[in-house]
Amino acid sequence: MAVTRRTGILIVLCIAAAAIIIAWRPTVLIYGIQQAGLYAAIAIPMGLVLGIVHIVNLAHGEFMMVAAYATYFACKALGMDPLLAVLPAAAVTAGFGWIVFQLTIKRALKAPELNQLILTFGLGIVMSQGVNLLFTSQTRKISLDYVSASMDIGDLSFGIWSFVFVAVAVVYAYGLKFFLTRTTLGKAALAVGQNPRGAAIVGIDVNRVYGIVFALALALVGGMGALFITKAAIFPMVGAPFTMKSFCLVAVAGIGNIPGILGASVLLGLSESILRAFRETRGWADIVFFVLIIVVILGRSLKWSFPLKGRKA
Amino acid sequence: MILEIAGLETGYGKLRVLSGVSLSIGAESVGLFGPNGAGKTTLINTIMGMNRVWKGSVRFEGRDIGGLPTHEVARAGIALVPQERELFPLMSVADNLALGAAFIPHVVSRKEELLEQVLALFPILKERYRQLAGTMSGGQQRQVAIGRALMANPKLLILDEPSLGLQPSIVAEVFERLGQLKKTVSILVTEQNVRESLRAVDRGLVLENGAIVIEGTAAELARNPHVERSYLGI
Ligand SMILES: Nc1ncnc2c1ncn2[C@@H]1O[C@H](COP(=O)(O)OP(=O)(O)OP(=O)(O)O)[C@@H](O)[C@H]1O
Ligand SMILES: [Mg+2]
Repeated sequence: MAVTRRTGILIVLCIAAAAIIIAWRPTVLIYGIQQAGLYAAIAIPMGLVLGIVHIVNLAHGEFMMVAAYATYFACKALGMDPLLAVLPAAAVTAGFGWIVFQLTIKRALKAPELNQLILTFGLGIVMSQGVNLLFTSQTRKISLDYVSASMDIGDLSFGIWSFVFVAVAVVYAYGLKFFLTRTTLGKAALAVGQNPRGAAIVGIDVNRVYGIVFALALALVGGMGALFITKAAIFPMVGAPFTMKSFCLVAVAGIGNIPGILGASVLLGLSESILRAFRETRGWADIVFFVLIIVVILGRSLKWSFPLKGRKA
Repeated sequence: MILEIAGLETGYGKLRVLSGVSLSIGAESVGLFGPNGAGKTTLINTIMGMNRVWKGSVRFEGRDIGGLPTHEVARAGIALVPQERELFPLMSVADNLALGAAFIPHVVSRKEELLEQVLALFPILKERYRQLAGTMSGGQQRQVAIGRALMANPKLLILDEPSLGLQPSIVAEVFERLGQLKKTVSILVTEQNVRESLRAVDRGLVLENGAIVIEGTAAELARNPHVERSYLGI
């Protein structure tokens, strides 16, 4: 069934409304795109793991939170700028992820999906509660001058630092695409994602590829943890909403469609930004992603042909 | 002997499928025959390390490979064309073939040469080089699977029902090619089409009730009354 005429009209109306609001308040567009960049940069690694290892990592946001905490304390202790911590944070998180993978997730790869969900959900709780016990629930922030950099175009003034997330998201998406389609290890990872039996038959060490992909995803999330703290305050539960939103975005894009996450993030970021533009609707912004995910799941089960390409499992 | 199996037992859960299979393969091609459900695929998957060995041994070039993970068996020099093909459906024919060679240490430097041979053997793969493997027809996919296995330049090539779904002219070509290959590669092949394959192999084995019940040269098998009755339909 194609998208029905009524939904088509609804979609067109939504786009028209968005266009009017953006024309009236262009910063809505700018902040929406910046937010989209943040969401996409965090969701893309989750999409990588889901597409290849076929695990929904419900501790995804918590890994970023842990990386942000590690960065925070390292920067406080050494008087270092978090930007210098991006690569070390990526490396440390990747190592941490590798260990977690070998100790826990690897053993659940053949388990029913529900067990895998419970496992990663539990890992997330252990991480956020662990951080809570060690460092309390106090929010922490690093103040940096360059974060408040702004730009004026005519009578429009807006912060520009968060464009760094957009840049990271684009680099992540196309970097991964290049890795997966042009390098031997990347192709092996794709092959494992599509058919682990077939991959083993041609000599690919499937478990090793799973571990590498998981660690790579966590490196990307770890780097984002260091960047995240340049902009936002952190606390033990800061990662949780990102897990949910990342999952939503990966689902909207369709499993295995990493560049599609960029598009899905723009949809989410813009919707949130539009709702945040008005005092009356501000409180609704946080539930947009629920609406998105419901629409997508409903659409998939009713077999609407979405313009977003998905992959049959 | 390149492959030596002795007293092999295996199965699934409580179900014993093989109860003491012994066989050996040298520089030759060997056909493995048996009724549906006899355990031919099970035997092959056990050689490839996809099923656990309950008892007995599997030796490849003198080395015990029972218990090795599948990818190490493949790297040691055994290539499999699985009954279910097991291709990478969302990757091109080109990538499927390339992955056949990419992780086998002793062929990485000979990739181009092997690819040329494979494309000469299956012209359709050259024609459809950029098509996604999953969108090829069943018979075409079987050709991709055989081509992918040949890309590994194996010492032992195992084919599980290679003619399944192939048109007769291509079956004939595959068997002819197997005939050429057996000069350089040892081959183990299962087939429902016993008559055709007995023309291509040097020796045949019949697997029934979990064990090898008949063993002999192709000519001997063709004359064997039990084989004639059960497999040649005379
Ligand atoms: N994964 C499995 N779990 C449980 N039983 C299995 C499994 N795979 C195969 N079997 C059983 O093992 C027996 C042997 O199956 P196998 O596929 O090895 O037979 P085969 O000789 O290859 O048959 P065919 O000619 O139909 O390909 C059958 O009784 C089958 O039901
Ligand atoms: Mg079989």
